[in-house]
Amino acid sequence: MDNLKLEVILPDKIKISQEIDHVIVPGCDGDLGISPGHTPLITKLRPGIMKVYTGQQISYYAIHDGFLTIENNHVRIVSETVEEKKEINFSRAESSLQRAQQRLKGDQSDTDFRRAEASLKRATARLNLKF
Amino acid sequence: MANIRDIKNRIESIKSTRQITNAMKMVAAANLRKAQNRIIKARPYADYINQMIQTVKIKHSDTLHPLLENNEQEQKAFVIVTSDRGLCGSFNYNILKLAGKYLNENPELDIICIGKKGYDYLKKRDIQIIDKHINLFNEMDFSSSRDIANKLISMYLDNNYGQISIIYNEFKSAIQQNVVIKQLFPITPPEDLEINLLDFIYEPDPYTIIDELTHKYIDVEIWRILLESSAAEQGARMTAMDSATENAHELIDNLTLYYNRARQAKITKEIIEIASGAEAINK
Repeated sequence: MDNLKLEVILPDKIKISQEIDHVIVPGCDGDLGISPGHTPLITKLRPGIMKVYTGQQISYYAIHDGFLTIENNHVRIVSETVEEKKEINFSRAESSLQRAQQRLKGDQSDTDFRRAEASLKRATARLNLKF
Repeated sequence: MANIRDIKNRIESIKSTRQITNAMKMVAAANLRKAQNRIIKARPYADYINQMIQTVKIKHSDTLHPLLENNEQEQKAFVIVTSDRGLCGSFNYNILKLAGKYLNENPELDIICIGKKGYDYLKKRDIQIIDKHINLFNEMDFSSSRDIANKLISMYLDNNYGQISIIYNEFKSAIQQNVVIKQLFPITPPEDLEINLLDFIYEPDPYTIIDELTHKYIDVEIWRILLESSAAEQGARMTAMDSATENAHELIDNLTLYYNRARQAKITKEIIEIASGAEAINK
């Protein structure tokens, strides 16, 4: 069977463009495993970890938001941030996680819960890559 | 004729001005290359979003989204994109001239400024500005354009504007910029794209996808406009500084000529004085 082509497009560059065997992405309704021959799909992504399988190798990326489309074995992801493990500043992620938790705990009415929640999820996605 | 020392001082001062304009030209040229690269790198993302929004819109024309429709509000807003810094020729002047004309025709517009020059200009003329984003071109990244985009989106949805347009300099080439007025809201994606008519499954549902796509579309549209504007600004600055350097050259040449003339005249005068003095003694 044909290979999958994976393209990850960021606002300022094309981050990944390669042939892969299999990919697992965090879709908005749960993780999504994509193999060659997948039906055409557009989905929203949630913050989480993307696993890319090429041959014997698995690479992990933290992904924050965006879309994924599949057509004719061509997987395209548009996102504002996709990071590899070595690009992540874990201590910063740690502190932003704590900040977000603090904000969500306090019940001030001026807290922007959606933003706090989003930053909590992003930080969690980053930290999950640590291990 | 001016004093020899005065001419010499002027030559020196013009020389140092020339050095500065020349350096600014070099810096602008380097920045221009950088800005052009960024435009090229931003293209795949923008193309992709455009194509998707078009596909989803055609397939699901019944799924209405507030950002895509006319909301029949009267009030309009106008975004003016200028540079933060001067010394870039007629870059800002062209924008403000056209914007001024547009404002005369539509006096009820609410104005949003991006860039310090336009803000200063309009403030001096007591024109009301409802929002401003200044000093952002120096360290511009995608998040700064996203902040502006989010603000515009919530303005459009909350304040019930019927239309928001934007005026900016489009980058044509290093020596040419075009002033463009474009409608941002309601969103009208370009029509001439290759449309993908595969039967996609939408997760979770088309509305959520459209919602997200339209937000991303505005993000990337603002980003593109800011990049275009900053490339155009650098181009304009490069040309302006190039001709300034040229002019300094010419001035220096002219003044050097004057200087030599004055010096010669002085020597001649001295010789005449000595000669006539010697003559007087001989008599």
